[in-house]
This record gives sequence, C-alpha cells and structure tokens, in this order.
Amino acid sequence: MAHEMTKKQAVMRMIGFGAASAAVFGAIFHFANPITEIFSRGGFYAALPIATVFLVSYVHGSFASNLWTALGINAKQPAKTLQPTAAKRPEVRATLNA
Amino acid sequence: MDVALDSLRFIDLSTSSIIFLFIVGFIGGLVSGFIGSGGAFVLTPGMMSLGVPGTVAVASNMCHKFPKALVGAIKRFRYGQVDIKLGLVMAVSAGVGVQFGIKLQRIILEKWGQSGSNLYVSLSFVAVLILVGGYVFYDAMTADKSGKPKPGVSLAQRLQKIELWPMMTFKTAGVRISMWFTIPVGLATGMLAATIAVGGFVGVPGMIYIIGCSGLVASATELVIAFVMGLGGTVNWAMHGMVDIRLTVIILAGSLLGVQLGAIGTTIVKESLIKFVMGSIMLIVAVSRGLAVPKYLAELGLMDVDPGTVSIMDKASFLIMCAALTFGALIILGSMYKARKANAAEEEREAIVRV
Repeated sequence: MAHEMTKKQAVMRMIGFGAASAAVFGAIFHFANPITEIFSRGGFYAALPIATVFLVSYVHGSFASNLWTALGINAKQPAKTLQPTAAKRPEVRATLNA
Repeated sequence: MDVALDSLRFIDLSTSSIIFLFIVGFIGGLVSGFIGSGGAFVLTPGMMSLGVPGTVAVASNMCHKFPKALVGAIKRFRYGQVDIKLGLVMAVSAGVGVQFGIKLQRIILEKWGQSGSNLYVSLSFVAVLILVGGYVFYDAMTADKSGKPKPGVSLAQRLQKIELWPMMTFKTAGVRISMWFTIPVGLATGMLAATIAVGGFVGVPGMIYIIGCSGLVASATELVIAFVMGLGGTVNWAMHGMVDIRLTVIILAGSLLGVQLGAIGTTIVKESLIKFVMGSIMLIVAVSRGLAVPKYLAELGLMDVDPGTVSIMDKASFLIMCAALTFGALIILGSMYKARKANAAEEEREAIVRV
C-alpha cells in the first residue's frame, strides 16, 4: 500500500491539481463553441472527447482525492491482524555423549 | 474564435443548468462509488428535461460514465476490493449481452413501434427492479447486526461445488466457480444495460448471489465492467459525433468528487449498507418507472388515460427518480458521518486506556 500522505502534503497537492483543473475547465469553456463543434465531427475526431475526459479524470480526479484527504475524510484502514508467530524452537545441535 | 453551434444538437447552457448538472453528477458519482452503479439513470432524463436531444444525452452521459468508473475502480482497487479478472470476464459477456439487448429492442421497435419499445423498457425496469431490488432489500434487512452474511448454504455455494470445465479462480473475490455460471450474469448485465442503461442493477446482485462475491467486491468490480462497457459505448457514440463535451465535463466535475467520497464510504460503513442502499434505490425507481407505464399503454390504445393525468404522472415519475438518488446519497452521507463519529470516539477511548 502507498505511504500515508500527511494533511499538509494533501493540501499542497490539492492546490496544485486544483489550479491545473481550473486551467483545463477554463480552457474548455473559454473555447466552448469551437471545441464542441470540432469534437462532434465524428469519425477519427472521436479520439478528442475521449482524450479530454481522460485528462479531466486525471487532473480533476487527483484534485478531488486530495481535497477529501485535506478535509480529513480518509478511508478506514483494515485492522491489522497479528500473524501468530510460531514459538522459536531451540536449535538442534549435535551433541556427543562421551 | 466565434463558432455557431448546431442548435438542434447542442443547447445553450445557463448557470442554473450548469449547477443542476454538477449537483446531479456529484450525487450520481457518490452512489456509483458506493454501490458500483446508479446515477446514470437520472442523468439522461435530467439532461433531456433541459432540452438536450435524447441521443446527445445518452452519448454525453456515457462519455462521463467510463472515466468516473475508472477513477472509482482505481480508488477501490487501492482498498483491495476490486477483482480485475472477474470484472474483465464479466465485461466480455456483458458486451455480448448488450448486442442481444439492442437486437431485441430493434425487433420490438419494428413490431410495435416506439410506444411498444418504451412500454417494453418500462416493464423491464419495473419487473427487474421489483424482483431483484426486493430480494437485495430483504437480504440487507435480515442481515445480522455486524453486517456479516447469513450462515447456511447459498445458491452461490452450491454452484461453486459444481466442477464444470473450465473452472475459474477469482483471488480477490475468494471464489472458484465454473465460467458457465459467470456468463449468464454478464449477459443479463449487458442486456439490462442496453435496455435501461443501468446494468449494475443486475450485475452487482448477480455477482453476490450467483457467483458468491461479497457486497464490497461485487460493487467495486462492477466499476470495472462499467468502465469497459462505457468506453466501448462512448467510442461508438463519439464516432457519430453525438457527445456534447461541455455537458460531459460539467457532470464529470461533480461525479469525480462524488465517486471518491462514495469509495471512501465503503471502507467506513457496514457492508450490509451497500445492499440496503442498492435495494432501496431499485424499489423507488421501480415505482417511478411504474408511473410511466399507463402513458405507453394509452399510446398503444390498450388503456384510456386523460392527457392531463399522463403529464402529471410523467413529472411525478422524474421527481421520484431524483428522490431515489437523493435518498441513497443521504443514507450514504449520514452513515459515513455516524461511522466516523463512532470511530473517533473509539480511538479516543483507546487513547485514554493507553494513558
């Protein structure tokens, strides 16, 4: 399992991904009409909306994940069960019965 | 750059419609992250109520569904809840099921027209949701307080004992079962997805009661199936130029927040709550779809209904559907809040004992 992220790290990452996410959404809506027109041309242009949603999922998904961590909403770690350790048996040594 | 959009396909977006789509996206994502599916069934009629044409609504909804499912699946994979092999096996048979579903729809459309097709969709909705949803709800209500499954030999355990080649082992699910028992579940999931757009309403219960997975693994694995099927469907719709990327990214903005919260919720609350939420939503949606049946019966000339009554029933049907989703979301959020409070109190007690 990945190492636990501190709240401070989560806040920093949230700000970084938040800014990137805002830039992506800003770009899409600033050029909304030409983007929508080009993306709906069909055929090979189908790759464009698909690539866009992958980009949005990575950037905005990372922002969302860090946002919940920064707010202290984390998954509960499953209780660690202690593995029963076998009692150490004394090492067998060859002895001489003189 | 000023480009005029085809007004027949693409609507003008107002602030209120952006807020509406974001909120429905968030709630839908929350429910999907928690029970593996749902949410999509409100989005398509929701978009259509804003004036989006049916095909664009379906395409844009599907285009948001697969990345949301991907993010949810990755999150729940990190919690050790996803069985990728089972998800892929199910996705293949579900893909075949979708083709069967589409073919059946076409036959009905040719024979009985649009009203006949709508009636078939609504009746399938009502029948499947009452039967499966009722059983899931009953199972959740009769589960013991710890949320553990009831003792006794279940149908899944009986099926797992049948050694029918080829046997498949699903490690995360902890199940060894013949491939022939996974296929009908996948086919039914695909057929339902093609009919009512929410295959998970059969896929998740099928994985629990026929294959023998836990509610946690089944709901998490459903996200893999939703991703594969959603990606396939999106490629098809996008090739026909039906995706409105503006609608898709607005819904995605809300649903990516919701799906991760829902995934976190599965680790906090009791496992039986997944079944409870799923069963409740399915039963409420069944009522909603039941209200749409008289309209189609009237269109086919099989029943006499006043047009005013039809219009009221139509609106009530949509509102009940929204209520189903909101009800599920409130239960999830409320239970997460309660469980977190209980955990915090327990940790505090432990800290005092240690001191």
